[in-house]
Amino acid sequence: MITEPILQLSGVARDFFDGKTQRRVLQKIDLAISPGEFTIVAGPSGSGKTTLLTIMGLILKPSEGDVFIRSEKVTGYPESKMASIRLQHYGFVFQLAELLPALSVFDNVVVANGIQGKSISSALKKKAKDLLESFGLQNMFHAKPLQLSGGEKQRVAIARALINDPTVLLCDEPTSALDAESSTIVMDSLKRLSQDNTRGIIMVTHDPRVFPYADRLIKLENGAIASDSKSSS
Amino acid sequence: MRSLVALKILLHDKATTIGSLIGVIAIVFLVGQQLSVLFGLFSYMSVLVDHSGADIWICTKNTVNINSTGLLPVSYVDRVSALPEVDWAEPLLFGSGTFKTTNDNFEAVQIVGLRTPKLVPGPWRFYAGSQNSLLEYEAATVERLDFNKFGDIKLNEFYEINDTRVRIAAITQSIKGFSGRLVFTNLAKAKEILKTTPGRCKAILLKLKTSAEPEAALERIKKLLPKAEVLATSELSRKTRSYYVVNTGMGGSFGFSTMVGAFIGIIIITLTMYTAVLQRQKDFAVLRALGARKIDIVVIVLVQSLIIAVIGIFIGFFLLALFLNGTHDSALPTYFPRWMSPLLAVFTLALCVCGSLLAMRKAISVEPASIFR
Repeated sequence: MITEPILQLSGVARDFFDGKTQRRVLQKIDLAISPGEFTIVAGPSGSGKTTLLTIMGLILKPSEGDVFIRSEKVTGYPESKMASIRLQHYGFVFQLAELLPALSVFDNVVVANGIQGKSISSALKKKAKDLLESFGLQNMFHAKPLQLSGGEKQRVAIARALINDPTVLLCDEPTSALDAESSTIVMDSLKRLSQDNTRGIIMVTHDPRVFPYADRLIKLENGAIASDSKSSS
Repeated sequence: MRSLVALKILLHDKATTIGSLIGVIAIVFLVGQQLSVLFGLFSYMSVLVDHSGADIWICTKNTVNINSTGLLPVSYVDRVSALPEVDWAEPLLFGSGTFKTTNDNFEAVQIVGLRTPKLVPGPWRFYAGSQNSLLEYEAATVERLDFNKFGDIKLNEFYEINDTRVRIAAITQSIKGFSGRLVFTNLAKAKEILKTTPGRCKAILLKLKTSAEPEAALERIKKLLPKAEVLATSELSRKTRSYYVVNTGMGGSFGFSTMVGAFIGIIIITLTMYTAVLQRQKDFAVLRALGARKIDIVVIVLVQSLIIAVIGIFIGFFLLALFLNGTHDSALPTYFPRWMSPLLAVFTLALCVCGSLLAMRKAISVEPASIFR
């Protein structure tokens, strides 16, 4: 069965200008992410992983090429529309969780849904509670991020990323600041989520210990795809 | 949710919130205090006019300030009294005198002579005695707030003003004049103290009948007395205040200090809110990455500034009320008209929004990409 890619890059390149010279950090990249796929993008520092992730996340605009979300070309949309697409289609898990310290765990999870002025429905509140419970955080609803461990913060961040049922879950080295035990919990959670055939998970990392979790491993070198392999399992 | 996020960030960043609040309180209190003193002085300038109860004042030609009018024939009183629109007309005499204190010093006073038995514009607040006390020939009042200057003044004892004997028959309460302490007495005694030319007075106060048309009556009196200045009470009050504001530099001085108060406040608000945004750059980047538009970030910062403004205005007005209560019966001229309160509140609110503009600009310039490493 041929499934429509949930995210597609077509000839995407990115240049950075440092004030004197223009440098191409991402070569023309063609890439399609299918639903139910857990993709890991790996590569050494400076290989363009994060640039690729931010372009896929509609945070950075490509210098060349187009980005498609479920066949809809989104390149060239105004900033406010891009933000709405991010809200609707994307979930983000950052390297250091990046929870808002002023908000409780519960508010951190629902904040994305209400950030464009929408009120938080009771159904969404229940969903947030269910998500937190599924990550073993049922006793942490009212805790502030400062009271959480690194692993707990990252699990809250994953719950926050899932609250809007995103099409694409983008993870930026989510285990790099965690100990081995917490890393395993986070990776297990992500792997479990990737079984859902409605979304794709893309994770950027340079940690080879997490490669076995991937359905697909893309290696970047000097801004270009050096290898793109799918696991046989 | 945006408002909730704004509120929770404010509650979390207590130090910057308190800093911004101090800015707002500084605006309300400093500006309010300056304005109250200015309005207090305004009320001193035209105190007799404002409390006269008259509709029209007749003064010498080209009068621009009630305190510097010339002498009028008292016969004008009879001429205007004969008009059908006029309910009553009363002559008024006032001028400078020196009060010999109990320590044998001299203090400048403003003598106000009122015709008996109507005694307008008589003293309107008494600490001791009453208006009827002035019906007696030698009777005069002193102001309670002047006791520290005049010495130990006792009721019904005799003192001297311009070498003329007066008996203190009443003590007024917080009746203050701009060009000297007010001493009320009857017209006969005032003439004796001021040594005024017989048949002359300083002004004539006129009350119209309720059925009279004020504008038409004013025009008719102007035609009747072409050599006099005929002014509505409100017009004379306004002219007197304008005269002092323009000619004493008071307007510029108070305007400047009011602006300084507002400027200090807006600087505090701007700096604290800007600092708060600098400290929260990462949070704004996260919100932007999660799907917040620039307008959502603007709303968050705007709501924060409005919350700070409302709380700061409330505390500022509370402190201002304490200040006004504390100075109500003191020598410090303070008066804050009711209509000024909403104006000051709106002015402060506008300053808060202005103060948050730089913070807003910084907040929306935060790149969501900065959150990725």
